[in-house]
Amino acid sequence: MKREPLKFSISGALAGVANGLFGGGGGSILVPLLTRLCRLDQRTAFATSVAVILPLCVLSAAIYLFRGKLELMAALPYLIGGLIGGILAGKLFKGVRIAWLRRLFALLLLYGGVRCLL
Amino acid sequence: MSAVITQWVLPILVGAATGILSGFGVGGGTLLLVYLTTFAGVDQHLAQGINLLYFLPAALTALPAHWKNGYIRRDALLPAILAGLLLSGAAAWLATGLDTGLLRRCFGGFLVILGLYELFGPAPGKKEGN
Repeated sequence: MKREPLKFSISGALAGVANGLFGGGGGSILVPLLTRLCRLDQRTAFATSVAVILPLCVLSAAIYLFRGKLELMAALPYLIGGLIGGILAGKLFKGVRIAWLRRLFALLLLYGGVRCLL
Repeated sequence: MSAVITQWVLPILVGAATGILSGFGVGGGTLLLVYLTTFAGVDQHLAQGINLLYFLPAALTALPAHWKNGYIRRDALLPAILAGLLLSGAAAWLATGLDTGLLRRCFGGFLVILGLYELFGPAPGKKEGN
């Protein structure tokens, strides 16, 4: 039992690296760590990852802004979209089938990854 | 008119679609990054910055429901967030100093590894009705 905080710390730290370095993907690392290393059930892992990533995004976004890599106006329409999507997510989460979402997600990742590498 | 669509309507729709996934914690942010860098032609650094900011409203609006429904593991929050802040701060500082081309390659490698893992990795954790 005593080792749980350590496991949570390791998981959070690895998500932090992705969050700062790539500006995202922290959740994609955190969810498998929370389920396998920390033994949370899937749904709890997904929701908990959102709560963990949020403060990391605040810090990373502040650093990107401070270092001149972020224009607020360019981000604004995506913020509005994110707001709408987040509200829907809270309402829909209970009923969603996560398994097929993950497969679609994986294919899109591979597509994007190959495009970035070529 | 078409400028309104490309600068506002499309970004809002894309943000809303990935926002649903972000709110679920299924990687909407990663998808938005892929959209920004490969479809919208946004510079890698700016795309990453946009994605970081975009996650804030998506997460803030999804979290109250998750909290109320009892899906948040509360004792995980403090250790994971503290360790995460330390590393994300350092990594963000590093990333904002990196060459765009190099960052984009690293990002591409990261996506491929994530995608392969999602497709072929072991099924996650305990079985639960989803």
